[in-house]
Amino acid sequence: MVSKAYLLSVFSIWHIQNIVLAGIILLILGLLVYMLSYMYFKSVYDKKFDKWSLISDLLIRKAVFYDDEEESEGDSAIPVTARAEKLMDNKHFRKLLINEIMSAKRSITGISADNLKHLYVQLGLDKYALGNLSSGRWYIRAKAIQELTIMSMHEFVDQLCLYADDKNDLVRMEAQSALIQFNGFDGLHFLDTVTYPISNWQQIKLLQQLSHLPPANIDMTQWFKSDNSSVIIFTLKLARIYQRFDLYYDIVSCLDHPDPLVRYEAIHCLNEIYTDETSDDFISRFLGEILKNQLAMIKVMETVGTEKDVLFLLDLLNHENDEIKIGAARALVQSNKDGMVSLEKYSKESNDSINEIVMHIKGEVAA
Amino acid sequence: MKILVAEDDQLMIKMLEFRLKKDGHDVVITNDGRAAVQKLDDFQPDLVITDIMMPYLSGLEVVSAVKKRYPTGTPVIILSGMGQENVVLEAFQLGADDYMTKPFSPNELSVRVRRFEAPLVK
Amino acid sequence: MSWQTFILHFFTYGILLYSIILLICYVLIGAFSISETRSYLHKNSFTDYRMLASSTETPSMSILAPAYNEGANIIENVRSLLSLHYNNLEVIIINDGSKDDSLEKLIRAYDLYKVDFFVNQQIKTKPVRGVYKSYNPVYRKLIVVDKVNGGKADALNVGVNIAKNDYFVCIDVDCVLEQDSLLKLAKPFLESTNQRVIAAGGVVRIANSCEIEGGRLVKVNLPKQFLPRIQTLEYIRAFLLSRMAWTKLNGLLLISGAFGAFDREIVINCGGYNTNTVGEDMELVVRMRRYMEERDEPYKVAFIPDPLCWTEAPSTFKILGRQRNRWTRGTIETLRFHKVMLFNPRYGILGMLSYPYWLFFEFMAPIIEFFGTIGMIIYCFTYAVNWSAIMIIVGVLCMGILYSIFAIMMEVLTYNQYRGRKDILRLVGVAILEPFVFHPFVVWSAIRGNIDLLRKHNSWGEMTRTGLATEKKAS
Repeated sequence: MVSKAYLLSVFSIWHIQNIVLAGIILLILGLLVYMLSYMYFKSVYDKKFDKWSLISDLLIRKAVFYDDEEESEGDSAIPVTARAEKLMDNKHFRKLLINEIMSAKRSITGISADNLKHLYVQLGLDKYALGNLSSGRWYIRAKAIQELTIMSMHEFVDQLCLYADDKNDLVRMEAQSALIQFNGFDGLHFLDTVTYPISNWQQIKLLQQLSHLPPANIDMTQWFKSDNSSVIIFTLKLARIYQRFDLYYDIVSCLDHPDPLVRYEAIHCLNEIYTDETSDDFISRFLGEILKNQLAMIKVMETVGTEKDVLFLLDLLNHENDEIKIGAARALVQSNKDGMVSLEKYSKESNDSINEIVMHIKGEVAA
Repeated sequence: MKILVAEDDQLMIKMLEFRLKKDGHDVVITNDGRAAVQKLDDFQPDLVITDIMMPYLSGLEVVSAVKKRYPTGTPVIILSGMGQENVVLEAFQLGADDYMTKPFSPNELSVRVRRFEAPLVK
Repeated sequence: MSWQTFILHFFTYGILLYSIILLICYVLIGAFSISETRSYLHKNSFTDYRMLASSTETPSMSILAPAYNEGANIIENVRSLLSLHYNNLEVIIINDGSKDDSLEKLIRAYDLYKVDFFVNQQIKTKPVRGVYKSYNPVYRKLIVVDKVNGGKADALNVGVNIAKNDYFVCIDVDCVLEQDSLLKLAKPFLESTNQRVIAAGGVVRIANSCEIEGGRLVKVNLPKQFLPRIQTLEYIRAFLLSRMAWTKLNGLLLISGAFGAFDREIVINCGGYNTNTVGEDMELVVRMRRYMEERDEPYKVAFIPDPLCWTEAPSTFKILGRQRNRWTRGTIETLRFHKVMLFNPRYGILGMLSYPYWLFFEFMAPIIEFFGTIGMIIYCFTYAVNWSAIMIIVGVLCMGILYSIFAIMMEVLTYNQYRGRKDILRLVGVAILEPFVFHPFVVWSAIRGNIDLLRKHNSWGEMTRTGLATEKKAS
């Protein structure tokens, strides 16, 4: 009995094994063949790409320096060789050309940049991008939006703004950038309705775009009331960078927001926009704050602190946390011309660790 | 005028080279900060145009190297994507003579370069 | 049933079961890795890192580079760190009580002077002898710390104490970084909206035989020597497949000590690097994750598949053996410190998947392989050659090769660092040789690690206990 069962089991394992083993070996061979043929085709394409990139380089250079070569006026077409014209039907060449045009457009401005747009439209590349807007794949849609934005195709702005609250994050980001690119500060009105959070990355990008534009005084008060924390954070950044003193009370009200990140940004914002009372606003909320925000408050006290805060800061030198002690000492020295004197006086009356902190602060001031 | 360009972006190089040569300048391109500093003695440029973010040595270090070597002459134009206040201030503190941010206008660059040419003509 | 047949069954079915689970793991890792890599590459094609470099709103970062007797190249290495593309940066070099003239060289080359500096001991460390800064404004980002020798973890803790910025990046000072590596590493921290990113790791690649000039990678070559070459394959497999897949699941446990970025606040709250383990890099990530899980805060450990950091791999069996021995001990120590998490649903993916995977496959695989092979050999000699078990072993070997070749394919399809068909065929050759030449040695080194740890247990039991005590306090 035992030996029969044993034989049977070994037999069946034996069988399955052979099949599995053969399968694995076949897979190995299959992968190898796939990889090698991929490399072969890629090397063929790479050679082609080198040729193509020469053609597209030439085309771009012609466009960039078009005006000063032939003093012709306005609408005349940029000369395109028959060979390049023919290549335009090739999807891969188009992709390469578009990428090069876009990176050139990104790094230059002025007439040369206008000429690049001219070339882009003349070759009908905008039509392809428009078609891609309705693609089923998010990255194709996002790419199309990005392309039309970089090429400054103002005429499509209404279509692009439909995507500003899209559920895909990259589509959304590109559409929001497009709005700023085309409508400047007015483009920010997508903040009225946006429901998805705006990542820090996107905020940096939008601020960067705005920094190239002349500042405009737009109404931002309603964004402080947004349910979307990231909208409030972004608004606080805008207020800080564009020195919006008129929003002072809105900013202070954010110190009581339930989200600690909003409160942090508000503290940071008050470093630029402050009054005599700002430090009182901090002091009254100090004990209720989380450590990170307490440290931020002390840091901002360096700028907003006044004589009346000396006692508060001296008191913090007894705090259990060394980080807070250092910050308080620094704030004392930075916010008051007599700060160093009171700090030294205090340190004489107390323990060693304060002494080290005082030396540290002195070193910083000297540097 | 002999211009030394330090820039690591190929596309920018092409555009700068084309534009400056068209304006009749003698242009030498280097792809990083270290190569630019090494080229100084060899080429004796009348003007240096440099990016900031580059391999080996940053553009700021190129500025201080140029200013150390030629305390009076050889202006440096910085052409960088970095437009932050602290970077611009630092560049001028180190002795940079002009600062342009990317995206830049080739026509504007051409005019700014010409400004440094004037005393030579006199 | 006689005991012989029992052993036979135990071996055949046991090994069969283990291989089937392993196969499933491989397939899943492959699938997850493909999906994560695709989505990363698509997303990345929209990223303009220059934008980040030229912004004032970037998060601040501190580079922590511990150096011990690195005098030979330290000037150049520091220079290349200073030339990294990142605006809001400080570079902290920690001289961990070097016996050579590293510090003097740095002082001379960078015009340093000693500053009065109060080191806030948020994490307890060995004493700091001095903090240095440069007179030259070009080097204002540089801080050099001189401290009493205390090992890598201790040096990093000093760096964490001194760093002022939101995030810190720990690196090995002899690593070669790509110029935009910090920009790329900063991105995951900025991208996430609903989870706090507590750490981000980058790919480490093998720099042997590559052309390096002035602390910068000029040309990538496939290593000419056998051991580094095989490790190239190993690293591709680990980084492109395994870590990518674990990132997809948000279950990544290890960020290479050679290159990773961390949220400083959380590291301090966790108590910093553990000085009582040789695997301080893995231990920290596990502890940070555990900390976040215990506080029920949504978090993520991110990973960037771009090749950002290049390092010299050991090229002799002696050094390699020592390295693997250390890795094994690090893994075991980490797993032991955090054993409460095993199959503990309170820790989510971490307890139910990541930890068990490390226990059963990273830690136990060499042991099972070792005893399985020995058992097989003894059985074959004393009784009869058991073909069915041998076939299973051949199958497992082939599976390993398949997995390696799949990894090479991923490399070709994504970053393709080793151009040229010859190099790829060489890698394939290495993939086929590996199970016979390299793998047994790695298994043996792991076994030695186990033995060393057991011995240490007996002789240094005291110290291990204090290790566990600090652990409890930290979490």
